[in-house]
Amino acid sequence: MSMLELRSVSKRYGQGANEVDAISDIDLAVERGSLVAIMGPSGSGKSTLLTIAGSLEEPTTGEVVIDGARVSGMSRNDKARLRRRSVGYVFQDFNLLAGLTAVENVSLPLELDGVSMKKARAQGMVALEGLGLADRAESFPDQLSGGERQRVAIARAVVGERSLLLADEPSGALDSVNGEAVMRMILSACHGGVAAVVVTHDAKLASWADRVVFLRDGRAVDETLPPPSPEELLNPDAPNPA
Amino acid sequence: MDDFRLRSERRPSEGGIPARRAVTHWAWRLFRREWRQQLLILALITVAVAATILGSSVAVNNPPPKDAGFGTAPYSASFASYSAKAQTFIAKAAHLGTVQVIENVTYSIPGSINTYQLRSQDARGPFGGPMLSLINGHYPSSADEVAVTNGVASAFHLSIGKTWKVGGVNRDVVGIVQNPQSLLDAFALVVPGQVTNPSQVTALFDVPASAIRSLSEGVQISTPASVAASNPLNPETISLAALVLGMLLIALVSIGGFTVLAQRRMRSIGMLESIGATDRHVRLVVSANGTVVGIVGAILGLIIGFAGWLAYRPSFEQSAHHLIGVFALPWIVVMLAIVLAVLAAYFASSRPARAVTKIPIVHALSGRPAPPRQIHRSAVPGVVFLVAAFLLLGYSGGTGGGNGSGGAPELLLGLVLLTPGLILLAPFFLSLTERVSRRAPIAARLALRDLARYRARSGSALSAISIGVLISVIVVLAAASRFSNVLDYAGPNLDSNQLALHTAFPPHGVNIVHRNAKGQLVPVPNQKTETATPAQLAAGAGQIAKGLNAHLVALESPNAFLSGTQGGRNWSGQIYVATPQLLRAFGIKASEINPKADVLTSRPGLSGVSGLAMGYGTNSKKSVLRGGPAGSDRHPLIQEISALPSGTSAPNTVITEYAMKRFHISMSTSDWLVVGTQSFTAAQISSAQLTASTAQLQVESRNDIPSGSTIINWATLFGILIALGVLAMSVGLVRSETSSDLRTLAATGASSYTRRTLTAVTAGALGFLGALLGVVGGYIAMIGWLRSNSLNGGISALKDVPFGDLMLILFGMPALAAIVGWLLASREPAVMGRQPIE
Amino acid sequence: MSVRHSLLALLSEGPKYGFQLRQEFESSTGEVWPLNVGQVYTTLQRLERDGLAQSDDIEEDERQKNYRITEKGGEELSRWLRTPPDLSEPPRDELVIKVLVASRLANVDVYEVIQLHRRYIVQLMQQWTRLKEDESHFDLAFALAVDAELFRLDAVVRWLDSADGRLHRATIEPTPENALALPSIRRRTGTHR
Repeated sequence: MSMLELRSVSKRYGQGANEVDAISDIDLAVERGSLVAIMGPSGSGKSTLLTIAGSLEEPTTGEVVIDGARVSGMSRNDKARLRRRSVGYVFQDFNLLAGLTAVENVSLPLELDGVSMKKARAQGMVALEGLGLADRAESFPDQLSGGERQRVAIARAVVGERSLLLADEPSGALDSVNGEAVMRMILSACHGGVAAVVVTHDAKLASWADRVVFLRDGRAVDETLPPPSPEELLNPDAPNPA
Repeated sequence: MDDFRLRSERRPSEGGIPARRAVTHWAWRLFRREWRQQLLILALITVAVAATILGSSVAVNNPPPKDAGFGTAPYSASFASYSAKAQTFIAKAAHLGTVQVIENVTYSIPGSINTYQLRSQDARGPFGGPMLSLINGHYPSSADEVAVTNGVASAFHLSIGKTWKVGGVNRDVVGIVQNPQSLLDAFALVVPGQVTNPSQVTALFDVPASAIRSLSEGVQISTPASVAASNPLNPETISLAALVLGMLLIALVSIGGFTVLAQRRMRSIGMLESIGATDRHVRLVVSANGTVVGIVGAILGLIIGFAGWLAYRPSFEQSAHHLIGVFALPWIVVMLAIVLAVLAAYFASSRPARAVTKIPIVHALSGRPAPPRQIHRSAVPGVVFLVAAFLLLGYSGGTGGGNGSGGAPELLLGLVLLTPGLILLAPFFLSLTERVSRRAPIAARLALRDLARYRARSGSALSAISIGVLISVIVVLAAASRFSNVLDYAGPNLDSNQLALHTAFPPHGVNIVHRNAKGQLVPVPNQKTETATPAQLAAGAGQIAKGLNAHLVALESPNAFLSGTQGGRNWSGQIYVATPQLLRAFGIKASEINPKADVLTSRPGLSGVSGLAMGYGTNSKKSVLRGGPAGSDRHPLIQEISALPSGTSAPNTVITEYAMKRFHISMSTSDWLVVGTQSFTAAQISSAQLTASTAQLQVESRNDIPSGSTIINWATLFGILIALGVLAMSVGLVRSETSSDLRTLAATGASSYTRRTLTAVTAGALGFLGALLGVVGGYIAMIGWLRSNSLNGGISALKDVPFGDLMLILFGMPALAAIVGWLLASREPAVMGRQPIE
Repeated sequence: MSVRHSLLALLSEGPKYGFQLRQEFESSTGEVWPLNVGQVYTTLQRLERDGLAQSDDIEEDERQKNYRITEKGGEELSRWLRTPPDLSEPPRDELVIKVLVASRLANVDVYEVIQLHRRYIVQLMQQWTRLKEDESHFDLAFALAVDAELFRLDAVVRWLDSADGRLHRATIEPTPENALALPSIRRRTGTHR
């Protein structure tokens, strides 16, 4: 079963003459353990797609199914619970609450869900350790570097049983080495059974994905074929694009 | 909080206690990180709580204790000497219950008008404990020992160990004592039996209620008069009213502050929502922060207020003339102040908290400035409230016997409705600024447009300013209309160098009571008391004047009266006769007086009042005053002489001897005026009162009734200070909202001139609009009230408004705010390069 | 890629045998550029001829010969490292020509052509990235070489994105300048340097 499923989802903003279709008629299914990248130029509706997939916004038409549950028709509180339990977000540059330490940030979704502070903290530490940040657990966000902040954000996005990771330009503010580290982490989360969707305009980041969906003017126009094996690449007969 | 817990237990999906704990934890951290931004709100609450605690403590403790002079005894009786009557009474009381006898003899301090008393009182007596305390040494235990008060010790250069001849006996000074209930009490304490010729014997006693009747025969028995309890306007009530009003203002101001804070944290809140916080959690973040501010402010206020009380108490005891316990605070007021402070902060933050949850998560997350909330700019709801207030106040005139038909509820409701009227009108007034701004230079245009665009937060500041101004304008107008009436004359009763002496009956401050069959305390009917003769009274008055080294003016009361009505108010005040002695006392020469004048007055404008008639004589044959036949003069000639005293109890209006002769008016002496060369001290007044009490006279000294101009000036100052305080808070908040604009401006090359103009225009415009709104509201209220309430002079009373004070509020205050804003706005934005991490 | 200078760089670490040089060359470039076996030895001969390297000359077999760098060779290596590669002349890029042609042909959807190439390149990049990901032991040289390839491909994707945007804008608002876009590009590239 797909972790995330979008069924002919459209989103329309504005009214009358100002009406704009941000995305139209998108179908997308993301399995557990797979990483899907959404690529497209600015204004192609990538971010809208992600916020709708994460229940932050309602689609105008179409249906969103997260972990088998239909989002449309849910109450605000039910959606909040869905986000606490199933969905993790990683944004471009702003991810952590300033007043909380790294580990507090990571364990916050669990605490919001009613897990006791002690247990939530223990799980948060596990998530941080998994990303090599155990020694930074007590640091506040402004004491962390940009790369560390994004890693903490990923830890928070996958802490507990959460299995859908949505990332919007997760390495946008980072250099390519740190960006690569972030993508490696998302990929390793996927190997652990998480379904991930990464929105980006950067082909280098998108190339980490199992599948790249190309968005243009709010429509999914194309997507990559299933990946070839590495051996094919080393074949000297492989076509050279340049 | 309680219902919150119940609900969340029913729906564990909301995360229950751990979730609330986590959210509150974050709110607390945010407060610790950003307490500087909340410093103004915090300071306001702290000052309000501290001022309430200090102010109400002083107000409550200022009057003398209710049981002063009684100790712990429920009854007391006084005798002028150890007469047989006194001895019988004491013996009888001792038989029926417990008695403590205190004997006094008054001696004068040589070279001084002050006196002291030689007092015999058992320091371990059953009732006198609260009237005696030891500062140093020990109480006298034998006939040759004496303890003195500090006053006596310094007058006679005494100290412990010295020997002093007092009451004809050489005694060793063994202690320094005081009367905690009256620090002015100067006495030398000796053991019982040492005062051989007492001039006052006081018996403090407690007997069963049934025995009082038999004891009260021919003897005055006093009980502590419970004046404070019967007065609805006791200091606690007043401080509570001030507290509620103050906290309302603070809540209004704080709404703006918390709105800005919520705005600044919008991205964080969007983040919180994106990881699954419910609306309830988000509201909790903002209102928990507010509550934290309230609690911290209340605790700081309590500490500062109590520390201030501790520091002020010693000198306050001196000025109040009695000892006050360290913890003698009005605890109910203190507790309410704390509760109200927390509530005010909570409610001020809960409104922005609700607004925050209504912002779409995606907008909140992007942190892009939310489109300014379109607050209705219609003036209609506000106008409806003002009209309703106007009509209600119009109907309320009936309270004072005017033309209106309503009463106190209408008056109260009308005043209450003014507040929402102003609050609802504030956004409309702000929308006007945008229109004004179109032709202004860029900095001013930006400032005015921001005021109009961000009405949600500038609106509450404007409301707070206008309510502060409204209060002061109403007080100014009411005072002006009240004090402008020359017939019903209001103001201070006397100058500070004047004392009025009146014939006293019954003796001042003591109720003659006994218990009736049901055990209730009731006044004794037809209590016969020896009445002093006029000669005795005059002698007593002379003695007082001599003791004060002051001039005595006998005030002759004519058998005549003035009557007339102007502005709905009748003539009030005592008139006296312009005897040559009186005229001389005030330096008025006979040549200054119009020989045809009937009445001389110091009340300005009285000569212009038409319809003022003078009645004289009496139709009653029983009258003690003998005089000619009754009649009236419809058009007495009134001459204004400013040399006459202006006090309401002083002879401000007198009948000339010409009129006395013309109408055969008789007169009698019942009052005296003591005029000193300089202000009388509290000790002098107290000693005069002591003398007066034995001479059946009452002393009236300058009371605390302020003059009209005092009230108007204080009210003006109050309005200006409130407005400036609110501005100091809210301009910073309104501008901090647009601090990114400031960064952009600086980047585009704006000089400090631009920054200064921005702040100055914001402060000035906000101040002016608030003042305008407050003055308009105040005028509407007063016109409505006075229209129907002819008792207070009708609308014509408004013609005498203190123009200068209103101009000061309307223009001076905004100008001052703009100048201060200009001066304080010189700082560069602290962080130019990077946005701080949120 | 200059085989000549890579070999000089390997020799600058110390004298090496021919077979050794070939092995190290292959591993240092991370098997990214598999090269003809003979090329290493012909290049070594040329280095010797130009006086940049010396061999002990005892063995006939190139593989067994021991090579060491000469002083002149060291200077040449140092000069080469600091000489910027010649990037001024635009390479004759087949993709650019294809897109240009597609934009001129009325019956061809240029965006479809662009997307086709974009997808193809992204797929290529996925393959390179997968190599990097699968490399369990961390090999710096290999990573650098793969990065170079990824960045090169990324640049092509970016160019496609920009061409996409530029063409899109030109169809929305056709201006004389846009109509002349093609010749002006040629003229500018022609006059460059």
